[in-house]
Amino acid sequence: MRDRAILLCWLSAVVAITFVHDPRVLGALLLISLAAQGRSAPKIALRALVAVALVNVTVSAAFVVSAWLAGADWMTFVLRLNLRVFLLALLTFWMIRHVDLARAAAPWPSLQFLVVLALGQIRTFTSLLADYRMAFSSRSPTRPPLRVRFGSAGRQASAMLEKAERQSEELNQGMRARGFFDREFLQ
Amino acid sequence: MHIPDGLIAPQAYLAAAAIAIPCWAYAVKRVSTALDEAAIPRLAVLTALAFVLSTIMLPLPGGTSAHLYGMGLLVLAFGLWPAFLAFSLVLALQALLLGAGGITALPVNALTMGLVGGAVVVGARSLLGASRSAWATVLPVWLGVVVAATGLALVLGAQPLLGSDAAGRPLFFPFGPAVTLPVIVLPHMIIGLLEGVLTWMVLGMLESRRATT
Repeated sequence: MRDRAILLCWLSAVVAITFVHDPRVLGALLLISLAAQGRSAPKIALRALVAVALVNVTVSAAFVVSAWLAGADWMTFVLRLNLRVFLLALLTFWMIRHVDLARAAAPWPSLQFLVVLALGQIRTFTSLLADYRMAFSSRSPTRPPLRVRFGSAGRQASAMLEKAERQSEELNQGMRARGFFDREFLQ
Repeated sequence: MHIPDGLIAPQAYLAAAAIAIPCWAYAVKRVSTALDEAAIPRLAVLTALAFVLSTIMLPLPGGTSAHLYGMGLLVLAFGLWPAFLAFSLVLALQALLLGAGGITALPVNALTMGLVGGAVVVGARSLLGASRSAWATVLPVWLGVVVAATGLALVLGAQPLLGSDAAGRPLFFPFGPAVTLPVIVLPHMIIGLLEGVLTWMVLGMLESRRATT
């Protein structure tokens, strides 16, 4: 219940913020959000900053140059864009810290299982892919040519595809064996 | 190539959500009907696969690399609707767990990259008939990537028209299609070609492995 409430509040806040355009209001909201996060504020702010830096710096720099060449004001837009995007990212990282997605999906067992299974499979595939990459780099004392790197990327993708087909069948059998597909379980 | 929160006007993302929600509902119905009880495990694994495929690096000349988009491979291996659902779930998980992309931009990203890009791959592949040549895979995937990138560029480029303040300053993404189209689409013409070649290689490897086992 708590997770769903936080998720809903966050979603409403994100939508509402996209209707706010005054940089002073966005700045005030940003300060309030930072203050509300207490001691974890610097850590969350840093994560949010890293997440948005590339897009914000690129768009802002291009806008500053084009506005400067046209002799137009750029400060208001740059403040508006950066404050809004940073505020949204900050709220998202705050939500990520406080919400357990699987618990939030509890009223819908099928969705909850889908989320839990997908997250588990992502971990499995990610670690498998890391193994492939490490094996490839350990076999390549010097930087391999483009053709070889391309072949390696292709083999990684095809191994993932094959693994996915097998995993899907195994999961299906496992879920059936545990009675997941019984009517009363899904209600 | 997906868009983060804060750059898209509410008029655009709410309209995209109004289109995406029935598409997701239809996709769920199609997948559930086709797969029955296997739908949940199949979708979970496909979602994980789409997530991991997007972390595979496409090597580019000069020692650099780009992320694999993966939609062409998913569509050709598993069909449009399961691939669209899995791709949308990946975007949602990336937004809700990693803060990558954005929840307001999710419908736009899912529709352009997942549905439109995927449908183009399927359409182009079926137009080429039963051809087994490399181009019968490379061309549809290239076209899917380029059309998806063009869709995103057009959505971003439309933002200055959707909102400006009293002084005419933009409220959201500030550049029109004259900037977004070349900046987004041109690199994706190269990425799409590499992705097409990689997809052809992967499907070929799978086919030959299946033939030998």
